[in-house]
Amino acid sequence: MSTIQISHLRKAYGGSAAVDDLSLEIPAGSVFGLLGPNGAGKTTTFKCMLGLARSDGGAILYDGKPLVPATFERIAYVPERSVLYDWMTVAEHVEMIRRAFASFVPARALELLAQFNVDPRKRARALSKGMRTAVMVAIAFARNADVLILDEPTSGLDPVNQRHVLSLIINEAARGCSVVFSSHQIGQVERAAEQIAILDHGRCVLQGLVDDLKADRKIVEGILPDSSFSLNGIVSDPRIARVDRVERIVRLLVLRDADDIAAKLSAAGAAGVRTVDLNLEDIFLYAVSPADATADVVAAENLP
Amino acid sequence: MPAVLTVDPRSGVPIYLQIIEQVKRSVALGVLQAGEQLPTVKQLALDLTVNPNTVARAYRELERDEIIETAPGRGSFVRSNGSATSPKSAAVDVARDALDAALREVKSVGLSRAEVRDLIDAAVDRWFPEER
Repeated sequence: MSTIQISHLRKAYGGSAAVDDLSLEIPAGSVFGLLGPNGAGKTTTFKCMLGLARSDGGAILYDGKPLVPATFERIAYVPERSVLYDWMTVAEHVEMIRRAFASFVPARALELLAQFNVDPRKRARALSKGMRTAVMVAIAFARNADVLILDEPTSGLDPVNQRHVLSLIINEAARGCSVVFSSHQIGQVERAAEQIAILDHGRCVLQGLVDDLKADRKIVEGILPDSSFSLNGIVSDPRIARVDRVERIVRLLVLRDADDIAAKLSAAGAAGVRTVDLNLEDIFLYAVSPADATADVVAAENLP
Repeated sequence: MPAVLTVDPRSGVPIYLQIIEQVKRSVALGVLQAGEQLPTVKQLALDLTVNPNTVARAYRELERDEIIETAPGRGSFVRSNGSATSPKSAAVDVARDALDAALREVKSVGLSRAEVRDLIDAAVDRWFPEER
């Protein structure tokens, strides 16, 4: 069990900040999904968490203590890109990891490799992208770690093996391991993660429990009497994060109390007021994309 | 039991609410009977491929609603008595949620209360002709 606290993390490459004043708290034993567009800072964050990149500011604490070699021993990592040696066989990689980490269980790694249909006698150069991912996943999940950091752990895998990785994550979480993972496949994060953070341009733009975000965030939609109808009385409400208007149709991104906002919109004279649920992909897109340029956006400054 | 439950993680409805709704529905329909054991949190999480804490949250709320009870070390069971657990009251819960969803939609089209009442009476007559 390990609580991971990231506070005011900053990391710049050249002149530009890859991670900028990022603060996250990852509770012990939770599955935490890190989402963000390409270049949002996910991989840089992981590298700083692992001590593979030196941060330019801020702190990363495991159970209140900075990363030391003994902590590193308890963290398993699946990097985004293959770090396998082309000339070595899969079995030789397993042996290499056995010598490096005392808690590694080689038999478990071989069992997982068999589940992914990877022949351990093969050299890494002969493996497809997906099979390389499977090897790194098998090794990481056999580490018996307290913390798993997984950067795109399903990339290149077929749907059956992707689902298998999710099952492994759930299994680790059930035994109390903290799992932090990133994926562009939002549906996977939606299944396996209890909490998420959305990064954009190196900053955290949204963090919370997936189920709570879904329960709270809704679109309230209605039809106005005419296209110049004033909504001034409503859009100043701090629970409304965004207002999109196209002709007579108005769509409000509501942060909570959607039923109350819907009643207010009806009372203001809108017809056909209804509330629309948002899935994680919708929530993600609203969090990282600027308001629709064709719409008349009024209250975007209330985001998130 | 696991075959009874399915969740759609891509829906906008929180997963723990989907689990609660389906367990209540299963009790209402008698698919889950009084005293019947539910899967463990870990087992259901693996069966549905969803986060274990999410399943645990659903179980906690089902306990609070007195639909299930958990005996430490033995597992979770559908409660065998108490008014809140009878199939009848679970059925009322399910029906109330369905009517709320329908009426929310109905309200959005701007009919009066009297007009909606007439529609509901007509619909009830249509769906329950034998009890007219």
